[in-house]
Amino acid sequence: MNALDDTSPLLEHLFRHQAGRITARLVRLLGPANFALAEEAVQDALMCALQTWPYEGAPGNPAGWLFRVAHNIAIDAVRRDRTFAAKTDSVVAELTRSASQALADPDHGELRDDELRMIFMCCHPALAREASVALSLKTTGGFSTREIARAFLADERAIAQRLVRAKRQIREEQLTLEMPAAPELVVRVDAVLEVLYFMFNEGYATQSGETLIRQDLCFEALRLGQLVASAPIATPRVHALVALMALQAARLPARVDELGDLVLLEDQDRARWDDRLIALGFRYFDRSMAGDDVSEYHVQAAIAATHARAPDASSVDWPLILRLYDDLLTKNPSPVVALNRAVAIARVHGPAAALAAVAPLERDPHMRGYHLLLAVRGQLLLDLGRMSQAADAFKAALTCDCSQPERRFLERKLQQCGDPATASRP
Amino acid sequence: MSRADRVTWRTTMPQFLLLLYNSPAAVSHFKSLSPEEMQKGLEKYMAWAKKPFTVDSKRLAEDRGRVMKSVNGKPTDGPYSETKEVLGGFYLIEAADYDEAVARTGDHPHLEHGGTIEIRKLYGQ
Repeated sequence: MNALDDTSPLLEHLFRHQAGRITARLVRLLGPANFALAEEAVQDALMCALQTWPYEGAPGNPAGWLFRVAHNIAIDAVRRDRTFAAKTDSVVAELTRSASQALADPDHGELRDDELRMIFMCCHPALAREASVALSLKTTGGFSTREIARAFLADERAIAQRLVRAKRQIREEQLTLEMPAAPELVVRVDAVLEVLYFMFNEGYATQSGETLIRQDLCFEALRLGQLVASAPIATPRVHALVALMALQAARLPARVDELGDLVLLEDQDRARWDDRLIALGFRYFDRSMAGDDVSEYHVQAAIAATHARAPDASSVDWPLILRLYDDLLTKNPSPVVALNRAVAIARVHGPAAALAAVAPLERDPHMRGYHLLLAVRGQLLLDLGRMSQAADAFKAALTCDCSQPERRFLERKLQQCGDPATASRP
Repeated sequence: MSRADRVTWRTTMPQFLLLLYNSPAAVSHFKSLSPEEMQKGLEKYMAWAKKPFTVDSKRLAEDRGRVMKSVNGKPTDGPYSETKEVLGGFYLIEAADYDEAVARTGDHPHLEHGGTIEIRKLYGQ
């Protein structure tokens, strides 16, 4: 019998998740100053698996195998590295103890704790948000520099630079893996949530390019959010953010059709929404209700929940959604929230009222060149039968920065306006 | 059925040794991959290794081994093999003849990454 016959397939993202987890553990044992050593040990352990498992088959506990091998590689490296000097023996002893720790349970509490500390360090308010996102993805997420660059449509060297700078800052400012104490904790949890929400939105934004890696970003933000939510330090707004991310991620499979074209929320095939994620979202939404805190995440999760609760697009409780947007606007008076609220106004009070709500936004300098504002305006004018004005709005939207699917969407809309310049086009 | 049983049971099917050499280029290519990409690569290797015609497989130790020679009538070990490609491991597969062995090896992922596979037929089969 071939050694590989009884090897079961590897868990999806096993390497990525273990890379994050083992890096977190090694950085904790070696100290943040030895980030590079930890990362190299993990990389070499994965490489060793790559050179062994094709011949020997995957071990019974692949995660434990990688954990142990990475530790052994780190031990060798520490012994060779003179900078540890007198600390060599104690560090090696720590690593040896860690390597022999209960590996049977991949969700070992202490390992989760390592990851949690790592997230808090990566999301330290002293670091720029973009740096925090990249560092979180690289360390706890197990993403490569190239993958991060692809997800952000950024240059790989720029991301590499960002990571180097962030690590240097961690060294220079002596940021540690110590969890912050009570008075600081609330601020630090909020900083983590902000980074995770940013990470999620980067993945969720309908940009052109590589959908898969962007979706991975959403799921990584969701995973890290759940990790924070599982800790005793989790505040209700942590649960609210996880609920929001889960309910929105549930719609990912329905957001584009077979041709890669954009499908608006109201037109989405709800059968393609991910039931498991919706259930997860509602579970966290319930938990977020503990306490009196009503954060922005709470309100946004409530909006997503209202959509998810409706059996079909025609039975969405738009008056409730409008009230929630009113609420959100008082918490966060941003023009983007106001634009979303205008869409709800159209549903409740009709397109004319919505158009009046959109008008002041058009004078907002932040919204200049924002294609979604023009697209909403165009749709409202189209609903009012003001075809040539609608066509002007869609044409203006097409001159703005937008993704290919968005561009095709706007062109279809322009055709609906009966514009002679586009009607003849295929 | 144990491996030994299967080997004796199918005495009529010739066996071929596949020697997989890792080129430095392939190794540095793999090192540049992300964990996710590494796993995808590994899964391809493992899927190939699960094919029903593989009889045995082993990874070799990473050192260069020893090469024994007689110098002036005295056996010596080393200097060692100077080839840049390191023998990483082997598979033993069954195939009717070289043509089939070559065909069965043709889709091995090792070849996609610049690795070399040497095929040797076992004697007397």
